Amino acid sequence: MKGKCYIQGMAAISPQPTFEENCFSSPISFSTTNLLPCLEPDYKPFIPANSLRRMSRVLKMGLAASLKCIADSGIKVSGPIVTGTGKGSLQDTEKFLKEIVTYKETALNPTPFIQSTYNSVNGLIALQQKCTAYNNTFVHRGFSFENALLDSMMLLQEGEDHVLTGAFEEITREHFYIKSRIGFWKEEQIDSRELLSHHSPGSVAGEGAAFFMLTNQPTEKSYASITGLKLLYKPATEKLLSALQTFAPAVDAVITGRNGDSRFDHFYDTVEKYFGNTPQIPFKQLCGEYDTASAFGMWLGAHLLRAQELPQAWIGQPIAKPVNRLLLYNHFYGEQHVLIMLERV
Amino acid sequence: MEDLKTKLKEQIIEALNLQDTKPEDIDDNAPLFGEGLGLDSIDSLELMVLLERQYHIKVEDPREGRKILQSVQSMADFIQSKQPA
Repeated sequence: MKGKCYIQGMAAISPQPTFEENCFSSPISFSTTNLLPCLEPDYKPFIPANSLRRMSRVLKMGLAASLKCIADSGIKVSGPIVTGTGKGSLQDTEKFLKEIVTYKETALNPTPFIQSTYNSVNGLIALQQKCTAYNNTFVHRGFSFENALLDSMMLLQEGEDHVLTGAFEEITREHFYIKSRIGFWKEEQIDSRELLSHHSPGSVAGEGAAFFMLTNQPTEKSYASITGLKLLYKPATEKLLSALQTFAPAVDAVITGRNGDSRFDHFYDTVEKYFGNTPQIPFKQLCGEYDTASAFGMWLGAHLLRAQELPQAWIGQPIAKPVNRLLLYNHFYGEQHVLIMLERV
Repeated sequence: MEDLKTKLKEQIIEALNLQDTKPEDIDDNAPLFGEGLGLDSIDSLELMVLLERQYHIKVEDPREGRKILQSVQSMADFIQSKQPA
């Protein structure tokens, strides 16, 4: 990679208490319904009440996470905002579609329609920050966050000082049901903490919002640097192995998107076998499966690189120090595969 | 008329998701926009939708809408004027 990219600030709202200070001292939350919903914070300190009343869940999650990320970075001047989402605001979309049917295409409320558009979160952040810089939302299913990240890294290479990059996704009961009919989730109800020991078709549903302030210069506060990014669409095993060679051999641990879905485990098996005894750190038991779950994996990896440790309850095993290079590997139902190299600053 | 105004206030609170506001907090004659409840242009569209859904009244002329949506009192007067005698 030509340019440098550092994570200067970050924030996440997820099924775990990740928005709280000292979140790693809290016990991990779990579900036995195959749906891991986010633990939503009190939004009032971040969003004015008059705006809050109109926002749906994913808008509140996205805006609050982005504002906390900006505050965490200490960067005051707003710059480009680039995000990714697989589905955007499902709650608003469903509400709008239901109203079309109920009111026979008349007397339609404008708010759910306005907010159902994918770039609503970006717009809200820009309005809140009075930011008129580059603003883009990528909607590419399992590559949404990855394309936002790629675009952000290119912006940094082109000379931007910093870019706010993020991803947001929500699950609704209706969407959960629709996806259950096409085999996204496990048929048997499981404890999400035991996700990886249930080898059967499907996974558990999740959701979340994660934001990163990416910069072209490191500081003492930087969490990690992103030194490599590779996207592969429906790769054959040989192609995946060839991509892995780009990042090997000095990898201290692999953050793996393993999700208990027996139909696609062979990809993770390939990576695990390739890296031999290198520790594998799964994260889907914490956040569930969704289009932009790799953003949560990156958030977790960046924390590990800066703190050099994470509780065993979160990552399943003790990791030998120092942790200097982490490879994040994730794929979305066997189609969109991503490799992200994270390094200690 | 009093019943209509109370019902209207409840419907406004629900439609606009005015958390922490009770019907008795809304003055009949207080302006709905700017001061008073501090509503904005999106809210005005939602109130138009409320009139259409709940009272089957469609406001075609936006200039007329501005007068109708001045306060709860003006909305109630308008609804009453449209109801069959």
